[in-house]
Amino acid sequence: MMRSTVSTTSLPDDSFLGRHQFLLYRLFSLAGLIPVGAFLVVHLLTNSSVLAGAASFQARVDLIHSLGPLLPAIEWLFIFLPMLFHAVMGFVIIATGVPNVGSYSYMGNVRYTLQRASAMIAFVFIFWHITQLHWMGAPLGGGQFDPHHAASSAAVALKPVAITLLYATGIIATVYHFSNGLWSIGITWGLWTSPAAMQRANWLSIIVGVGLGAAGLGALGGMRSIDVEKAKEVETRMYKARQLLEGGISAESAQQSTHAVSVSRVSSGATDEQGISSKNKE
Amino acid sequence: MISASTSTIPEVEPEEKRVPQEIRVRVLRQDAPSEESYWQQFAIPYEPNMNVISVLQRIAAIAKSQDGRRVPPVAWDCACLEEVCGSCAMLINGRARMACSSLVDNLFEETPGEIELRPLTKFPVVRDLSVDRGRIFNSLERVKAWVPVDDSYDHGPGPRISPEEQEDAYPLTTCISCGCCMEACPQFNKIEVVQREGETADDFDARKQTAYDEQFLGPHAISQAVLFNSHPTGSMNSDERMQALTGRGGIQMCGNAQNCVAVCPKRIPLTRSIARAGRAATVWAIKKFFDR
Repeated sequence: MMRSTVSTTSLPDDSFLGRHQFLLYRLFSLAGLIPVGAFLVVHLLTNSSVLAGAASFQARVDLIHSLGPLLPAIEWLFIFLPMLFHAVMGFVIIATGVPNVGSYSYMGNVRYTLQRASAMIAFVFIFWHITQLHWMGAPLGGGQFDPHHAASSAAVALKPVAITLLYATGIIATVYHFSNGLWSIGITWGLWTSPAAMQRANWLSIIVGVGLGAAGLGALGGMRSIDVEKAKEVETRMYKARQLLEGGISAESAQQSTHAVSVSRVSSGATDEQGISSKNKE
Repeated sequence: MISASTSTIPEVEPEEKRVPQEIRVRVLRQDAPSEESYWQQFAIPYEPNMNVISVLQRIAAIAKSQDGRRVPPVAWDCACLEEVCGSCAMLINGRARMACSSLVDNLFEETPGEIELRPLTKFPVVRDLSVDRGRIFNSLERVKAWVPVDDSYDHGPGPRISPEEQEDAYPLTTCISCGCCMEACPQFNKIEVVQREGETADDFDARKQTAYDEQFLGPHAISQAVLFNSHPTGSMNSDERMQALTGRGGIQMCGNAQNCVAVCPKRIPLTRSIARAGRAATVWAIKKFFDR
């Protein structure tokens, strides 16, 4: 008797998380696929183009950086903020679960546990990765990636064996998290519902995982095997050609419209070898 | 019955020689709610074809621990002894299963001569192996796991259900509310509300239910919501069930570890139900957003 009155009068607390728990969890799930997962796919495929040579990679980086001053806005809106949201929600979710793979060592449970473990590895890895290569990391001693010398600056940054191993770990964790998440998202949203359909989806996630893993590790190997000097020559030639082209259209507006940061990159790019090697010594 | 089975199956004899003469049973005991638990060891003679319930009955008959001390008999819940009532779920050798359908001979393949019994860890212990399973039913109430036709009016014949639909729904109706799926779920956490001094039973129960209301429903309740939403008459309350499924502690708490379906003694396709509920929640939430 008491029971029914209670359940109807005192509904769950009305905190923001309480009221919108379903929405937040679904947005978290969606963010993992779009835009964060989609970005991961584009990112790894773009990077693997380095296997076709420094020029091929540079051309793709140039395409991305042709967005100019819009690039940081797009980065924050479609990559960093969704990723941050996914990570914060992810930590809330990890905190609410109690893994029990020791008692129940079923495949699904192992995958559930690995999904959380890989999430934490990926979080640390991505934070470090951005600090190391993205220009935002420059004040912290990172920011080693030079968009005008894409392959060569990446090659120098990734060359140490310890760094390569950390990257391999980070890439595998991130790719596992995404491809296993793909399978999980399909259940959450109700795309595949029967055990047979889940099994088929499992194959899909394995294929995506192996493919992306190959692209990611291939990119890592490709960056390492780059001949830095030769790549620099190619990149400098491409950079000069681009400058000429832009100069031909409107010499002054091209200089002015470039984002403050890419201006500083231009100057560091012009000093070429000294710029990179002195950074390395630091 | 025992002699009949041994005489008809002659292969039993060489096997029986490998079987231990006694069964050592480790029981995690607890004298009262929220008190310290402690291990106690029992030894009983082995008999063929025992289940964990008959082991517990032998222990109760002996009422002595292995070291010969007289101890209070171990408390446990059971009723039907045929995997229908759902009350005898416990951790047997570390895994959630029904004591009635856990046969000692099968358990000996995991740990020869030994059995470890613990109360379920996700529910408050009442005493020894007996737990407060109230939260299982709280979840069922939240999703309104019933068809509300409790009156004396003549509603005429109900809508027809095709044999295909019946076959689809039947496995879901076999749920025995044992709690194994909740116990094995890494997303389902223990909630233990302790009775305050001077608190009436009603007040205590009300506080308990409120605490349960905000937490994960569990796989069984999601499956029951799917069952009653798939029923033509039950689906008239579909909105209320969807409200519960997408409310706090609803379907979003599922982490797809899929332990529930692996431990379910009735082999109910719980993950299929969860995915179907997920699909229904997707459609319902979008519809609700555009219809408001």
